Formats: sequence, structure tokens, C-alpha cells
Amino acid sequence: MNQPLSASRSRTASGAKALQSIRRFAARLKSCPPVFTAALREIFDESAYTRFLNRKQMVSSREAYAAFCCECEAAKARRPRCC
Amino acid sequence: MPKTLSVLIWLSVALLGALALATIALHRGEQINAMWLVVAAVCTYALGYRFYSKFIAARVLALDAQRATPAERLENGRDFVPTNKWVVFGHHFAAIAGPGPLVGPVLAAQFGYLPGTLWILAGAVFAGCVQDFVILLFSVRRDGKSLTEMAREEVGRLGGLVAYLAVISIIVILLGVCSLVVVNALKASPWGTFTIAMTIPIALLMGVYLRTLRPGKVLETSALGFVLVMLAIWGGQWASQTPSVAGWFTLTAPALAILIIVYGFAASALPVWLLLAPRDYLSTFVKLGTIALLALGIVAFHPTLRMPPLTRFIDGSGPVFAGNVFPFAFITIACGAISGFHSLISSGTTPKLIRRETEARMVGYGAMMAESMVAIMAMIAACVLEPGIYFAVNSPAGIVGQAPEAAAATISAWGFPVTATEMHSLAQSVGEQTLYNRTGGAPAFAVGMAHIFSNSLGGQALMAIWYHFAIMFEALFILTVLDAGTRVGRFMVQDALGHVWKPLGRTSWYPSILATSALIVGAWGYFLWQGVRDPLGGINSLWPLFGIANQLLATVALCVATTIIIKMGKARYAAVTLVPLVWLVAVTFTGSWHKIFDPNPRIGFLSHAAQLASGSGVNARLIFNDRLDALVTGTLIVMVGLILIESAAEWMRVLSGRKQARVKESPFVATTFAEDQG
Repeated sequence: MNQPLSASRSRTASGAKALQSIRRFAARLKSCPPVFTAALREIFDESAYTRFLNRKQMVSSREAYAAFCCECEAAKARRPRCC
Repeated sequence: MPKTLSVLIWLSVALLGALALATIALHRGEQINAMWLVVAAVCTYALGYRFYSKFIAARVLALDAQRATPAERLENGRDFVPTNKWVVFGHHFAAIAGPGPLVGPVLAAQFGYLPGTLWILAGAVFAGCVQDFVILLFSVRRDGKSLTEMAREEVGRLGGLVAYLAVISIIVILLGVCSLVVVNALKASPWGTFTIAMTIPIALLMGVYLRTLRPGKVLETSALGFVLVMLAIWGGQWASQTPSVAGWFTLTAPALAILIIVYGFAASALPVWLLLAPRDYLSTFVKLGTIALLALGIVAFHPTLRMPPLTRFIDGSGPVFAGNVFPFAFITIACGAISGFHSLISSGTTPKLIRRETEARMVGYGAMMAESMVAIMAMIAACVLEPGIYFAVNSPAGIVGQAPEAAAATISAWGFPVTATEMHSLAQSVGEQTLYNRTGGAPAFAVGMAHIFSNSLGGQALMAIWYHFAIMFEALFILTVLDAGTRVGRFMVQDALGHVWKPLGRTSWYPSILATSALIVGAWGYFLWQGVRDPLGGINSLWPLFGIANQLLATVALCVATTIIIKMGKARYAAVTLVPLVWLVAVTFTGSWHKIFDPNPRIGFLSHAAQLASGSGVNARLIFNDRLDALVTGTLIVMVGLILIESAAEWMRVLSGRKQARVKESPFVATTFAEDQG
């Protein structure tokens, strides 16, 4: 039953490695929902609006959003939608 | 991962892909499951991404993780913003995914599922993804410059002019053909017309809600808009069953065309926040949701493909559009395989968001793979229909006849049995009066999608709701392209006219806005009107024209890319863009030659004009339209020729040493971002 020490060590090391990969995978999985939400916020210009508020040191309001719409009107109108 | 395990995994993927491709290519006389197409696609994309894109990234483009991107160097919190790669991926995909990959494969399904599927897979991996990837990277290395600017700087002044004209041409033809698809889907359909009509007040309401009640809450507003659109679909059933209301929404094709032209003009002149932006958000919301739903539906239902791998129409006698499988299958399917339009997006917003050069691979190459997968799903949706039904829906009355019995008899005589009773009950099950002669691809796609959805969720009882959901999805998509495209075209014309007379270039001067809007709407409106009045349905002549224009833009993009690769001193790898370029030139030149000079009046514009001229009831308008289409096609080809000559001359100058090989990249600046910043 006695196994050589090196074999046992290498098994422990590979076990730790596997555990580490699982942990890394779980961490990645955990980061999926926030990344998904961030993607949606970027696609729907919510992030752009937040950046605008930060840049202009403003809080969200009708006036702030109107100013944001005004600022990105030209860029938005020139952005083609693909076929 | 140990190397042996990695090799084993990729070997398994390759073998599985080969098995799936062999199954879809070699089965004759028996139906196969749609999952074979999905497996073949996933394996092909996985291999293409893992090996080919990696090769391009490492050897050809030499992506440098240490080089700061414009998003980092020029960060301003507005246009230039370093963004997470997955976020950029989603943003880029949402921008490139349009109606093209849905309509093209449905039309090309007349050849059977095999030619279109193979072209979508090979075209995407070796051409479309490569184009999007290299143009994105070259734009990143030039501070996010547009394709037109890169063409002018790297190829020459003529290249810049051709790129500009190509963009204008493609926008005009695209808008004309896309609006024709909507007209054909909505004519004599009170349910569909009611639903789409309701999306206009819904978008306006969203605009006001977003501006006044919940400023900046776009996702919430889009979700609300989506709920209202679903109510509009439900209300459409009521509208179609209430004779007094149905009368208002039962419109002929010319009436719909006029309404769409008026809408396009109004959308171009209204403030962006009021209609364009909310409709864009709503359309994106519906688009992303529906694509995900369709993918789930196909996996859950895993339907059998009823269409054979190859039909008799590969000989060019197809009823949907005339022309041999080569080159017409490759022109018909543009967006799912290679689309020049993508190069505008790859050199637009996306390069200003990329945080690291190395991420351009995933965004550029990867997002196009996702788009190509959408095209595969569209092909599946078309091919799950009984071929007889597919041809009954997609064939114009000029080919199969007006009367249901006559149409069913003609299609059955081609070897695709269908009966008038079968078509009648199908039309009833989707809440339509008739499904005959609904050319353009959208209705056939909607029937296929409704078939998949109703088999996965809700059964036959929900068939009509799903059908109209699919019609709403496509029409909403297309109308968004229409109003955004009209505005982009208007700005381009204003920019150009501003050089002639300054006030015309002012984008806030109302006389200029009205005049240039009328110019652009008039241009695409003419093509739409032409299609509506065409007894062959219009798609027959206009869709190939759109394909040629789109591939022309891809030719421009590939010429720019090849020129830059040669100037980078990587001429030995120029084949990466040169081979797709040569293929596209072969396809566009052959296709254009046929469209202009083919002696078959169903294919050649000039022979059709001659046939009309020699007939008894001479229709001067139709003859003029044919000659105009021939002229437009000829002009497009001359432009392809010009940019090819100019690019080839530049390559020769650089390769022979007569000109110093120098690219116009922004100077290297080291990134300050940490290596592990994910």
C-alpha cells in the first residue's frame, strides 16, 4: 500500500491545480452577470450617460439628459445601422 | 491544459466538424436534422477562431498588447472610452447584426440548403471575419479613422472617392430593397400593418418617457416599449378580426410604399431623441432577445430540414430570383458571409472602445462569427418549411400565377408538391388571408420561425402570434435601418454639398435638411417604387443589386487591407486578404455581367428591356427601370475596377521599391494598463 513519496506529492499538486482551475472557472462564471449587464448598459447608452454625468459633474435630471441627448445627437445620427 | 489534451480536444472538434459537414453535403434523397448544420457551424467557427484568427493576429498583424490603443491615449469619456472586451463585443455585434443575414439565406435557400450553408461557413471564416478583424485593427492603429479616410490615405484620392460613392450607393440600394421587403411582408396584412404602425407611437412615447419621466433609464424604457409592442401584436389580432378596423390597415403594396417613403422623410427631419433613438433601442432590445430565442428554439426543437441539399434551380431557373448558383448564391448571401457594410462599423465606434490591441481579434473576428451563426439559423428557419410551401410564399405572381390552384399546380409540377388547401390552412393558422407571392424572404422566414417557436413553446395555438412576432421583429429591424440610413445618407450628402455651397453643409439649416432628405428619400424611394410596380416582384432585380453594392464595399475594404499589409512589409501574408478579394471580384464581375448582358430576360436587365420593347403593350417605365438598373450595376463595376487598378498600382510601386513602404499609423505609445486587467 505504501506509495513512493514523489507520486503522492505529484497527485496532491495536480489535485490542487485542478481545484485552482475550478475556482478560476467559478470566478469567471460569477463575473458573467455583471459583464452582461455592463454590455447591455453600453449598448443602450446608459453607461455613456453615466460618463457624461461624471464628466460634467451633474446629477441625473431632465435637463442633464436633454444636454446628453444634444451632445450625442450628431454622433448618433451619423452612426449607420448595419444591413 | 496539457498539450496532449489540447491536441486531442481540437482533433475531436475537427473530426466532429468534418462528420457534420460530410453529413450535410453527402446526404441525398433523405432529410437530415438541422442540428447537423449547427454542429458543422460551431466546429468550423471554433477551428477558424482558434487557428486562423490566431495566425492572422500573430503573424500578419502582430497584435501588440503593449501598444496603447486610441481608447487609452485619447480617452475623453465620450467617444474614446477603454471598455471591457465583452462589452465591446456585445456593442459591436448589436451594431453589425441587421436584417441582411436573415433575408439573404432565406432567398438563397431556393438552391437548397447546401450552397448557402457552405458559403456562409467558408465565407465567414476566410473572408467576412478577416475583413472585420483587419479593418478594426487598422482603424485602431489610426486613432479610429473611418474606412473612407483610410482608403484616401493608404490607397489614394481615387480610393477615398470610390469608398465614399460605394457607401452612398449601398445606403440607397439597401434602403430601397429593405423597404420593399417590408412592403411585401405587410401588403394585405391588417395584423402586421397594425402592429408596425403601433411601433411609431410607441417609439415616440418612449422618447418622451425617456426625456421627461425617467431620464437616462434606457433599458427600463426599452423593456416597457417591448411590453407595449407585445400588446400591439395581440391587438393586431383584434384589428384584423374587426372589419371596420381591418379596412384601415389592409393596404396595397403601392399604398404601403408611399407611407414608408413619407415615414422615411419625416424620420430624417425629426429630432434624433424623439423617434430615431428610442426606435433604435427598441429594435436592438427585440433583436437581441429574438436571436437568442431563435437559437434556443432550434436547439430545443432540433427540426428536420425539409428542403433538399440541392434543388433543380441551381441551373439558374429559380422562381425566387433567376441566376445560376455561381455567382448568385454568393451575392444573395452577403451579410452572413462577408458584408462590406461591416467595415463601416469596424472603422466607426468600435475602434474607439477597444482597450487592448489583442482584443480586436475577439471583437472583430468573433462578432462576425456570431453574425454568421444568425445566417445559419435563418437558413434553418427557411429549410424547415416544406419546399412547396417555401416556393409558394417566395415566388412572384408573374412566375407562378395569381390563382391559388394555378400557383400550387405550377410549384407541384417543379417536384415540390403543395396544394391550395394546404396553403389556405397555413395562411389561416398564421392569421393571414393568403401567403402566396409574399416575396422578399421576410414572410418565409416568419413562417419558419413561427413553426420552430410553436413546436418549442405554445403549440399550434400560438402559431399566428409567433408569425406576427417574427414579422414585427423583421419590420422593426428594417425600419430602424431605414430611418438611421436615411439620416446617415443625408449627412453624407450635406458634407459633400457643403464643399459646393457652404450653407448646404450646415446640418442645422432647415432648407438644407429638407432638400437633402428629399434627395436621399427620393433615391431609395425610386428603387422601392420600381420594385413595387415590377410584375416579377422587384426582389429578383433589386436584391442582387444590393448584394453587388455590398460586395463592392467589401472589395474596397479588402483593397485597403491588402495595401496596408503590403506596406507593413508583410507581402508574404497578403493572401489573407488578397484571396477573398480575388474571390469577391470574380463574384461581383460575373454577377454584374449576367445582370447587365445575360440573354435570359429574367436575369439580364438589357435583354428584359429589349423583350418589353418588342412586346405588344410597351411599358416605357419598366424599360427605363431596366436600363437604369443596368447603368447602376455598370457604374458599381467601374468603381470596383478603378479601386482595383489604383490599389494594384500602389502594390506594384511598393513591391518594386519605387515607393517607400510606409503606413500611416499613429506612433507607438506604451500602454499604462496592467497586464492582467481583464
